[in-house]
Amino acid sequence: MKAVNFGIDLGTTNSLIAKYENNKVRVFKNPFGQKETLASVVAYRKDRILIGDKAREYLTKDAVNVFGGFKRKMGTDEKFYVVNIDDNVTPVELSTLILKELKNFVQGEEIPEACVITIPASFDSMQSNATLKAGKDAGFKDVFLLQEPIAASLAFFNNSAGESQKSEGYWLVYDLGGGTFDVALVKSTEGELKVLDHEGNNFLGGMNFDTAIVDKLIVPEIIRQTNIENFEDEFRVKYGKYEMLYYQIMYYAEEAKKELSQSPSTVIEFSADIDNTKHDFYITITKAQLDEIFLPIINETISLLKKILDNNQLTAQDIHQIILVGGSTFVPQVRQELTDQTGIPVNFSIDPTNSIAIGAAFYAANKFYEPSAKIVSEKETEQAVEEILSSIDFNPIDLTVEVSYNRSSRDTEEVLLIACGGEYENKYYRITRADGGFDTGLIPLKAKKTEFLPLISSHNNSFTLHVFDEHKTELKDFAKELSIAQGVYNIDGQPLPHDICIEVDDMENKTTKLEVIFERNSLLPQKRTLYREISKTITKGAPESIIINILEGDKNSRASSNLTIGCIEISGKDLQADLIKGSDIEIQLHLTDSRVLNTSVFLVMTQQEFKNVFSVSEKQVNIGRLKEQFIQLEIDLTETVRQFQYNEDDIWEIRASALLSELHEVKKTLFKLKDNDKSDDKYVIAQKVLRISQDADKLGGNERIAMLIETYMTRKEEVFALISGADFIKDEMLSQYKKIELSEPSFIKSKNVSVIENKLQQLHDLYWKAMSNTTSFLISIFIEYKNASANEYKDYNAAKSIMRLADTALEGEKYPEFRRHVFHLSSLLKRVRFNFNNDFKGTGIG
Amino acid sequence: MQSSLQIINQVFEIQTKLNDLNEASSFERNMNRLFAIFEDEGFVVKNPINEMYQESRTDCEASIVGNTSSKMKITKVLKPIIYQKNGEQMQLVQKAIVIVEQL
Repeated sequence: MKAVNFGIDLGTTNSLIAKYENNKVRVFKNPFGQKETLASVVAYRKDRILIGDKAREYLTKDAVNVFGGFKRKMGTDEKFYVVNIDDNVTPVELSTLILKELKNFVQGEEIPEACVITIPASFDSMQSNATLKAGKDAGFKDVFLLQEPIAASLAFFNNSAGESQKSEGYWLVYDLGGGTFDVALVKSTEGELKVLDHEGNNFLGGMNFDTAIVDKLIVPEIIRQTNIENFEDEFRVKYGKYEMLYYQIMYYAEEAKKELSQSPSTVIEFSADIDNTKHDFYITITKAQLDEIFLPIINETISLLKKILDNNQLTAQDIHQIILVGGSTFVPQVRQELTDQTGIPVNFSIDPTNSIAIGAAFYAANKFYEPSAKIVSEKETEQAVEEILSSIDFNPIDLTVEVSYNRSSRDTEEVLLIACGGEYENKYYRITRADGGFDTGLIPLKAKKTEFLPLISSHNNSFTLHVFDEHKTELKDFAKELSIAQGVYNIDGQPLPHDICIEVDDMENKTTKLEVIFERNSLLPQKRTLYREISKTITKGAPESIIINILEGDKNSRASSNLTIGCIEISGKDLQADLIKGSDIEIQLHLTDSRVLNTSVFLVMTQQEFKNVFSVSEKQVNIGRLKEQFIQLEIDLTETVRQFQYNEDDIWEIRASALLSELHEVKKTLFKLKDNDKSDDKYVIAQKVLRISQDADKLGGNERIAMLIETYMTRKEEVFALISGADFIKDEMLSQYKKIELSEPSFIKSKNVSVIENKLQQLHDLYWKAMSNTTSFLISIFIEYKNASANEYKDYNAAKSIMRLADTALEGEKYPEFRRHVFHLSSLLKRVRFNFNNDFKGTGIG
Repeated sequence: MQSSLQIINQVFEIQTKLNDLNEASSFERNMNRLFAIFEDEGFVVKNPINEMYQESRTDCEASIVGNTSSKMKITKVLKPIIYQKNGEQMQLVQKAIVIVEQL
């Protein structure tokens, strides 16, 4: 036997599905739009069946083909004639479709085989049996029913630790949804919950609040401003001239209602063409106004609540609390009026929108069923074999579904051709896009069918084609995954062979790093605007400059391993005013079909624009940047030689040393070059540096790469352990850690030494960050700082006073304050770690 | 994430108002910058105004003005479509609230 665990709130307006697991309940979200709720509406459109929110859009427009609120008709012999299919559907069939759709919310894990479905307290046996049938028809092996007020109570009691001991007696469950209201009297005796009485109104809910705002506050204001007497009549005319305004205002009214739950007043602002004149409206609505217009609606619910108490000869003192359910109970006045008018404490500790589904899941945790794939004992084997044999379908479905489409596209939509063979009649297909933005609904299969698939630009669009039988149950074996890359690879377009990057400063490490602008394989033309900050102050007329260096190569490698394809230098002499560190710079880049790079640089502070056009065939070299790239490569190669020496790897040491010597051959010439040198020397040297840098990445071969990956993996574990034990900014560090981890497959696959070293460096930085956010490490560092001599500090007196403050914070266990003082102390030390290049100028772009 | 969506919606509303006032060009750079910042934070914002509307568009929540038809167009956008990037994947995190009309 297995616990059912799945609970379903099959609501009149909205439905939800939840699952009990590991002592908690999880409410599933709709893969289309990530909402927990599914509108309980089914639309039979001309060529397809829509279920849920999309169907609701057509509810008022196509009433003969779209059905909502059918829960009220469960258990009756009422049928709905559907014009588009020329057939009748029953409330059970419609409920079955909703339940099947809810099953689709549960993705990537076990498919629910059994469930608990909630029903209103008012449901009689016929209605209950109809719900059971809908559950079975939806493919649930076992279905258990639970009354909604009991489900809400269960959610409440399971959420309130210790409350269950005090739960004996009477409770009221007040359920005010979008369009319906129910109130139930629940009695709890020795852990048993029972609904004693209930009252309700099927046409009272949150919609009445929105309508009241429109009718009583917004429409009178429109009339006052426009002086149109018959506006109110015309406003409500179906398909009338103010229909658009009506929807707009209904939306604003709902937004205002939400805002006034938290603020004392709000403003609704809109413009509208009324009688061919444009009017601007600015309507202030206060909470006091809302309270006044909501009161009659709330009073109606309270009178039903009081009726229950009277009918059962109970007083307010007999009731423990009122448990609130339904989204409309978020309105503060509902809570206030209930408290004031009944004198009964109101409890809104549970989420009113999903509490019934949650309660159903709690109940489901204690209900059991026999799963389909059961484990059999030895004695049962013979019987089990027979069962398995009988369950095998020796007559598989005679159906073939073939698809044809372009795997890449430059268009905003792509055609999909579907060809079917065999018994495709009375079967359906449905195509969904993985991001949740597209769903065809259920469409009948035909021998040949065409579907237009909308694509998100510059993105790999994943679709799934699902096939369903005549009962709208999915035939999983026929599902197909489709993938269309928009804006990437296309026989008509030219993909970029390498990454295009910009070189930006890494001031912390006194070096530069590459930031990708256009990814490899992006389809030309490409356009992008980068927003950065100036990383050093440049005064007007001064010789310093900022350098915009555009490179082609591998985004993960060092700058010197990439080819410069565009370089703009803006010096102080070009400036109309001083350019202060931290001011904004906008760099717009446009790479044409023929790979001509157009750049436009805008300095926000001086309001100056610099435009350049570069041809990729022309070499671009900035001598200042080349010198710094040279220094970085020299440092890296020296370190590589040292590592090979340490590992006694003579062969690779010789090769690394040879590269270093080759680099040194051009050092003298390079550092003699003036910035305005006109000779070809800079091109020759740049080419040599590029080749040496690329060769340096190959040093050590696969063994070095394997070693680096091993070091990376070990360091990764250490860093994770450190972050887990850190005392400050844990979430921030974890997110940085996950970012590195996410890029793991691509950088390991690159087999490029500098790429992997770059990731190791990021891990290394994170390692120190984690250390410096761990109190025990800070304490050991603090002791080291205290023992440092006076001449190791820039200002020893200041350091001593900070040491005293740190001591006090430590004694008082004020660790965040202590951490601040230790950081401050570290900034007063003269020594600067890992500062290889003190003359680092960089690009000036942060 | 909820507060990020609220900020994006506010910026979108400001942009819409500036368009209505014919003032959008004065703030174009700032707006582009703001949307670029949102994208850096993983949120891709899309305004579906004037796009064709089909019932298969689950990226929009529509109110239909007039009769329904197979050719409908989005004529007003009250809230934009927002996707969240997660590595190579995109996920719809806010449906647009739109008004559509027959062509």
